[in-house]
Amino acid sequence: MPQIEFKDIIKTYENTVVLDSISFSIEDGEFVFIVGPSGAGKSTIVKMLIREEFPDSGCVLFSDQNVFDIPQCDIPNLRRRIGVVFQDFKLLNSKNVFENVAIALEVVDAPEETIKNIVPNVLSMVGLTNKMYSMPNQLSGGEKQRVSIARALAHEPDILVADEPTGMIDPVSADEVMDILEKINSLGTTILMATHDYNIVNKMKKRVIRIENGKIKSDKIGGTYNG
Amino acid sequence: MKTEKSNQIKLEEHIMANTIKNLMANVKREKLLSISNIFVMTLTFVLLGFFISIIVGTQTTLKRLEQQAQITAFFKDDFPEKNIMELKARLETDERILSVAYVSKDQAFKIFTDINKDEPVLLESISADILPASLEIRAKKLSDLGNISSELSSLDGVEEVKYFRDVIDKFKTFSGVITIIGVALLIIFFLTSYAVIIVTLRTTIHSKGTELEIMKLVGASDTYVKTPLLYQGMFFGIVSAFVASIILVLYLQVFLAFMAGGFLGMDNNALTIFPGVFVRPILFQLFLVIILLISGVSLGYLGSLTAVKKYLKY
Repeated sequence: MPQIEFKDIIKTYENTVVLDSISFSIEDGEFVFIVGPSGAGKSTIVKMLIREEFPDSGCVLFSDQNVFDIPQCDIPNLRRRIGVVFQDFKLLNSKNVFENVAIALEVVDAPEETIKNIVPNVLSMVGLTNKMYSMPNQLSGGEKQRVSIARALAHEPDILVADEPTGMIDPVSADEVMDILEKINSLGTTILMATHDYNIVNKMKKRVIRIENGKIKSDKIGGTYNG
Repeated sequence: MKTEKSNQIKLEEHIMANTIKNLMANVKREKLLSISNIFVMTLTFVLLGFFISIIVGTQTTLKRLEQQAQITAFFKDDFPEKNIMELKARLETDERILSVAYVSKDQAFKIFTDINKDEPVLLESISADILPASLEIRAKKLSDLGNISSELSSLDGVEEVKYFRDVIDKFKTFSGVITIIGVALLIIFFLTSYAVIIVTLRTTIHSKGTELEIMKLVGASDTYVKTPLLYQGMFFGIVSAFVASIILVLYLQVFLAFMAGGFLGMDNNALTIFPGVFVRPILFQLFLVIILLISGVSLGYLGSLTAVKKYLKY
């Protein structure tokens, strides 16, 4: 049974077809790139998985459950099982690194003891132990993205979804971020990453799903950006 | 080992400081919004209390007037006192009647001389024989006065029946108008305050937009997102109601003194909060404060709930 399955997804925005009968599946523990030019619908796929977007038709199965059938009160549970990393980091500038990560646990009323144990652990995993009390404006772009990854990992999610995580950082920091994602994947977490950074995709030699004009142009294990 | 312990203490200090810091930051960030919200709600509650006290004042005055309202039936000079006393006894058994008092010719003359003691010329020209004997009748209900008056007029031996119908009717209309206007204004102020709370909290939510968005993306439940905002709304409500209570209790001291003083000789020990319901002034003040506090909490809660609902859709 695949961990994630997109079935015949059609999505239009103001008469423009963004996703046209998209179907693919991802197995537990895979590392998958969704690639394509800007506006190809990569972010829409990520948003559908966490039910931030709805398709016109089709369904998305996560652990065999259609995410669009989940009652609203259970959406938080779905999002706790999927860690999300954004291109713009989505950090709170008024909170330090520790607090930005802790928020993921505070929202589920995790006990203080748990927060005190988990936050330093995930920060250590992304190599930011020494920046625990720094404010976001004291961090580089790469470090901000690593905080974002640490926050996504706080719930020990089944899958980590990254939407253009290297889009706003320099190439060296981008490599560091990719090393971290690979390490997380090696520990068993599925990674789904939307990107248009062909250098990274070509270097990683992972499964690549290429979307163009709303359709899947290629889907290859060990593929490159262009197929 | 030492470093580990120091890290642990640092973490604990950080979590405590974080909670207090967030609270203070919120108060500071939303100071102007909070003050304006509390001001509008306080104004609403002061007006609410003010109208309630006006309504209670008019109801109490009306009751007093009703109690004072009496029919006076004057008898012909040749109508025997025995017959008047029989009529009095009959009237006392009438369920509509509260009390009946007989005023004989002599008593009427005494009252007349007391009232006109400074007019010796007038007193010389009047004797007890000229003044008629009368019955002073008080009804339980103001509305029965008309019928009782008609019935008395048609009796043999009754010369004339008098009661101050117009004054009482006018006051009754005035009291009704005050009540209707008061209730209408209350509803308007309640709706205005409700709208202001919604707008204020929406502004607050908007200013916390990124934080709420992140909370939802990392799996915050509806309850987690909305609870602090509901508390905030209730906090505004209760603070406003408390401030309004202080203002109203001070105002009521003056109002009640006015009622107890010369104003129609009002009995300060029984205020009419609804027709037929009487309370002591201290209980009335307590009742008013409780109403305000309940209104404050409910208005704050409902306003916040409406404001936050829009932002909870997944």
